[in-house]
Amino acid sequence: MELVPGGAVPPAVVRELRRDLALCLDRRVLIADEVLALDAAFSPERQQYRADVILAALLEGLDGADDRRRMAVVAEDLFLPVFTHIFGSAQFRGLAAVVSTFRLTPTWSDQPADPKVLRLRLLKEALHELGHTLGLVHCKVPWCVMSPSLDPDHVDLKDPAFCAPCAEAGGIPRDRTFLFL
Amino acid sequence: MSGRMPRLLIVDDERHVRESLSHWFTEDGYDTVTAGGGREALELLGRRDVDVIVSDIKMPGMDGLELQHRILERNPHVAIILVTAYASVATAVQALKEGAYDYMVKPFDPEQLSQVVARAYEKVKLSTENETLKERLSAAEPPFVTGTSRAMAKVMELVDMVAPTDTSVLIRGESGTGKELIARLIHLRSQRAYGPVVAVNCGALSESLLESELFGHEKGAFTGASSRRTGKIELADGGTLFLDEVGEVTPKVQVELLRALEERTITRVGGNQEIPVNFRLVTATNRDLEAAIRDGDFRDDLFFRINVFTITIPPLRERREDILPIAEHFLRRFGAAMGRPIRGFSAEAKDLILDYAWPGNVRELANAVERALVVCRGEEVGAEHLPIAAHAHAVDPGLVGDYSIAALEAQHIDKVLRVHDYNVTQAAKALGIDRVTLYNKMRKYGIERP
Repeated sequence: MELVPGGAVPPAVVRELRRDLALCLDRRVLIADEVLALDAAFSPERQQYRADVILAALLEGLDGADDRRRMAVVAEDLFLPVFTHIFGSAQFRGLAAVVSTFRLTPTWSDQPADPKVLRLRLLKEALHELGHTLGLVHCKVPWCVMSPSLDPDHVDLKDPAFCAPCAEAGGIPRDRTFLFL
Repeated sequence: MSGRMPRLLIVDDERHVRESLSHWFTEDGYDTVTAGGGREALELLGRRDVDVIVSDIKMPGMDGLELQHRILERNPHVAIILVTAYASVATAVQALKEGAYDYMVKPFDPEQLSQVVARAYEKVKLSTENETLKERLSAAEPPFVTGTSRAMAKVMELVDMVAPTDTSVLIRGESGTGKELIARLIHLRSQRAYGPVVAVNCGALSESLLESELFGHEKGAFTGASSRRTGKIELADGGTLFLDEVGEVTPKVQVELLRALEERTITRVGGNQEIPVNFRLVTATNRDLEAAIRDGDFRDDLFFRINVFTITIPPLRERREDILPIAEHFLRRFGAAMGRPIRGFSAEAKDLILDYAWPGNVRELANAVERALVVCRGEEVGAEHLPIAAHAHAVDPGLVGDYSIAALEAQHIDKVLRVHDYNVTQAAKALGIDRVTLYNKMRKYGIERP
């Protein structure tokens, strides 16, 4: 799996996410050398960035034989034309995903700035989008990382872990996520 | 309905909207399909069922409101959420007035959209479950009592023996003996009790109608087939199919029925897709099927298929000890329903009831008691209240006042029906017309079986 920094995301945020994901998944997580330019995804009308355009740009960087998953990590506000905003997006059963720190940053929802809160929220959203690339759908178990979260408070309610059925369906190691609990 | 994924249809002329929403709801666990316009949506709905529809209002050709109108005409249970990029109170009001579940403005707050669609699905699920429950309740309430005679105890023993198996059952017995009740009892005591029980009266329908009733039809299969229709066999999936008057099935439909039984698949009329079906077959007839086979009217291979296990319900005259208890049961039941405090039958009424042959069996007895209750003003039903006396000694009233051909025909049909104890098959034969024509004439002249 490879994390691709995009836009104005601070390198430290991506490095922390790499460490956390590697621990959770018990596998090597790389960081791409290049920073993904987001200009093509920008909508001047909405002052936001189109997630589907970012996913397409990620897939362009893959050659046919490469089955590595690529996840863009951006600091910009994401949207899809039909939605006002989204936290992240993924190609269902595919190789590309994107997560944004924009709405996960505590100050965005008038909460006190706390880097630990953002770090944990970002890990959860990254695991969530990764789950979608593995073919997992939203889960009804409230603490499962695959349960849908549509505002930052919901993200805080779930664990950075997959419930047993989701872990099994996605072929994800489950016993390591206790490190964060 | 539990266990399967909720089915969602997204209708929008903009591809990126369809793709975004389809993607979003697939991740949410919906079985999602999309259509680029109203016409495509209707075509799709002709092939598959959905629970919730999210449709744009402004589309070229058929707009969202017209699409909603056409869909609700056919399937009032589906929930439709109309969306538009242009917020307008007038359009929203119109959409809701015409039956939309909700109205939303693009772009959506993802949380709000997810909640609206989830709530719409819950509503559809509830109304479908309600329907199923209602059907099951009406199926669970026996319309007749069966009696406690030794002959009926034997019948009930056979029902208990065969019900838990998946064996095809043929119920034989005269008209009015309660064959459908026994069929429903077999269903209720089977492992399929939680599935549907679907009844079809094969004698009341013409060949082509019966074919489409049993197997369903595709849109345009014949003149008047304006939409796809699911057949009763498909509706009986996971449950029991009860074919009443199976002896009246025409040779062509017999072949199709045999194929459905042997291959466990059906093809809708005008279609070419084989649909797997899973039903238990219970049939009933008052006809001598062995004689029909000899006459070439009924296929022996179909007979062997449906006649794996036979239950014969004896007529009321062969189990006289049941007559009075059943009559008293009906008296209590109808009395309670009409709010009438009736003590019982007078001694003369009891004698009359016991002496009468009851050719129309339990159905005739039920009708006689109900009519007596209407006529009776006191607390006891007397012989004079029972319609039997007049009926038993009925004489030809001759021509009184009305000399039209229609009046003559009505009287003649009534007479022939009475001679044949209201057995429609035999009466139709005697009259030299087919059963469907006789049913139509009976309806026209208001002639009812007792």
